[in-house]
Amino acid sequence: MSATTVEFEGIGKRFGSRAVLAQVSGVLRPGAVLVVSGPNGSGKSTLLNILAGVLRPSRGAVTYREGGGTVPRRLWFERIGVAAPDMAVYDELTAHENLAFLARLRGLRSTREQAAELLDSLGLPAREHDRAVGTYSSGMRQRVKIAQAVIHAPRVLMLDEPSSNLDAAGHEAVAALVREYRGRAAVVVATNDPREAAWGDARIELAL
Amino acid sequence: MRASSLLSEGLAVLRKEITSELRSRVALNAIVLFAVTTLVTVAYQIGPYRIHEDDRPHLLSALLWIILFFAAMSGLSRVFVKEEDARTGKTLRLAARPGAVLLGKLLFNLMLTLALETVVVPLYCGLMGLAVRSPGGLALLLLGGGVALSASATIVAAIIARASGSGTLFTILSVPLILPLLVILIQGTGAAVTADGLSPVLPALRAIVSLAGVTLVASFYLFPVVWND
Amino acid sequence: MTERKDWWKWLLGLWILAVVWAAFFYAPTARGFKGESARIVFFHVPQAWVAVLAFCVNLVASLRYLRRHDALDDARAAAAARLGLVFCILATVTGSLFAHVMWNSFWNWDPREISIAILLLVYAAYFALREAIADEERRASLSAAYAVLAFVTMPFLVFVVPRIYFSLHPDTIINTKGSMDMESRMFQVLMASLMGFTGLFVWLYTLDVRAARIALARRRRQED
Repeated sequence: MSATTVEFEGIGKRFGSRAVLAQVSGVLRPGAVLVVSGPNGSGKSTLLNILAGVLRPSRGAVTYREGGGTVPRRLWFERIGVAAPDMAVYDELTAHENLAFLARLRGLRSTREQAAELLDSLGLPAREHDRAVGTYSSGMRQRVKIAQAVIHAPRVLMLDEPSSNLDAAGHEAVAALVREYRGRAAVVVATNDPREAAWGDARIELAL
Repeated sequence: MRASSLLSEGLAVLRKEITSELRSRVALNAIVLFAVTTLVTVAYQIGPYRIHEDDRPHLLSALLWIILFFAAMSGLSRVFVKEEDARTGKTLRLAARPGAVLLGKLLFNLMLTLALETVVVPLYCGLMGLAVRSPGGLALLLLGGGVALSASATIVAAIIARASGSGTLFTILSVPLILPLLVILIQGTGAAVTADGLSPVLPALRAIVSLAGVTLVASFYLFPVVWND
Repeated sequence: MTERKDWWKWLLGLWILAVVWAAFFYAPTARGFKGESARIVFFHVPQAWVAVLAFCVNLVASLRYLRRHDALDDARAAAAARLGLVFCILATVTGSLFAHVMWNSFWNWDPREISIAILLLVYAAYFALREAIADEERRASLSAAYAVLAFVTMPFLVFVVPRIYFSLHPDTIINTKGSMDMESRMFQVLMASLMGFTGLFVWLYTLDVRAARIALARRRRQED
C-alpha cells in the first residue's frame, strides 16, 4: 500500500458574491504536518471541506495521488479521516454504536476491544462508552469525534480545531495522535491555537 | 478493495435509522399523528353514507391516497433533513459510499410507508365502510405505490436537505413528481374496489412498477451528486 | 456580434409580424368554433411548443452540468427554464381563455391541460429550489438533479396517465375536435408561427446565455 499525497492548486471558493478563498495552493504528504491558520472567516474550514471533497471549489483543483496514479474523487472518502466542528456523531447512539456503525460502513470489522482501546486512549472512561452521546459533555463528545476520524487508520487525516472543548489532558491525547500519524499519513490541522500550530512542519496562512 | 458489499453497508444504514428512530420517534410520530388526525376528520365528517353509491369507489380512493400522501410527506423528509440538522451529514458523507446511504434511507422510508399503509388502510376501509372486491389487487397497488412513493420522496428529501431542509420545499418539489403516481394509484384503487380479480388493476400496476423503476434508476444515478455537492 | 450576424433578427421580426398579420387576415375562420376564437391557436400552440422545447434544452444543459460541472451549463439550464416558465404561463393563459370562450369554463382537466399545469409546477419548483440555495456550485448540482428527475417522470403524466384515465372517463372535450384535419392555410400559418416562436426562443436564449458568459468572465478576471 503506497502513501497518499494530496495536491491542491489555485483553489478559490465563492459563496454568492463573497470570495472566501483565492488562489490557495499546497500539498499534504506523510511526514510533514500542514497547519492552516488565519482569522475567523478566512476560509480554513472551507479549504478543508474542499480538500476532503465534500465541497466543490469555484476555481482550482485537488488531486489525490497514490504511487503513480490519481484517485478519483468518489474514492477519496475511503482514504481520509476528518474531525471538524461541523461534523457531529449520532446523539441517539452510544459511543460504541457510533464507532461500530461508522466502521461497518467502511467495510471494517472493528471489534469492541479496538473501539474501547481507542476511546480510552483519547481519555473517554470505559463507564461512558455505552451511554448515548447526547448525554455527553462537549469535551467528551469531541473525543468521540476524534475517535471516529481514526477508527479506520486513514491515510489522510484532517483535523479542524481538534482540541477545542478539550482540557489539557485531552489536548495532550490529540497531540500524541498527531505525532503517531505524522509519519504514516498526510496530516493537515486547521487551527488558531498556538499550541496546535506548533505541531506543523509547514504552514498556510490565510488572510481575510 | 473493500470486503463488504453495497447491500451490507446499506443494511447498516437501515439498522442505524431504525435504532435511532426507535429512540427518538420523530418521523413516526409525525406520520402517525397526521394520518390519525386526517383519518378521524374524514371519517367523522364524511363517513360511510355521505357519498352517493356511484361515486364511492372513485371518491373514497382519492381520499385514501390524499391521506396517505400527505401523511407520508410529513415524515419521509426527516431521513435526510435530520442528518443535516444534527450535523451528522458530513460524518456520514465521509464514511459511506453514496449508494449505501441511499439504499439504507430508501429501505427505511419504504418501511415507514408500508407501516403507514398497514395501519391506515384497514382502519379507513372499516370507518368508511369501503368494501374492496379485489383485496389482492389493492395489496399489490399498496406495495407498488409504497415503493414508488418512497423512492420519489427519498431522492427529493436528499435534495431539499442540502437546500434548506424546509418542509414546504419538500412538498413543492414532490408534488409534480408524485402527482402522476397518485392519479394512477387512485384509478387503480377505484378499479380494485369495484371489480374482482387482479386483471382490472394490472394497467395501473404496470404503470406504477415502471414509474418506480425509472425513479429508482434516476435516483441512484443522481444521488452521488446530490449527496456530495 | 457584428452587424452582419444580426440580419436574422431583423428577418425574425418581419417574420413574426407577417405571422401576426396572417393569423388574422390570411387564415380563414375555423368552422366549428365560436366566432374568431380559434385564431388564438396560432399563438397558443407555438407557446406550448416552446415551453416543452425549453424543458428539453434545460434537460440537456442539466445533464451536461452533471457531467462537466461547468458554471456556463448551469447558466444555460437556468436560461432555458426562465424562458420555459414564461412561455408555459403564456400557453396556460391563452389556452384557458380559449377554453372559456368555447366551453364557458377556464379549466376542464383535459389531459393536455394537466400536462401543462404540471410543467408549470415543475418550473415553479425548479425556481423555488434555486432560490433556496446560496452556494452556487450546490445550487447548480441540485437543480440539475431535480430537472433530470422531473424529466423522467413527465412521460408518465403525458402518455401513461391519459390511457388509464380514459378507460374510466371517456368523454373529453378537446380531443373531439380532431386537430389534424386542418385547413391548409391555417396549417401554413401555424407552421410559420411555430418557426417564428422557435426563432424567438433561440434569440432570447442565446442572449441570456451570452450575458451569463460575460458575467462569469468578468468575475473570473476580478478574482485573478
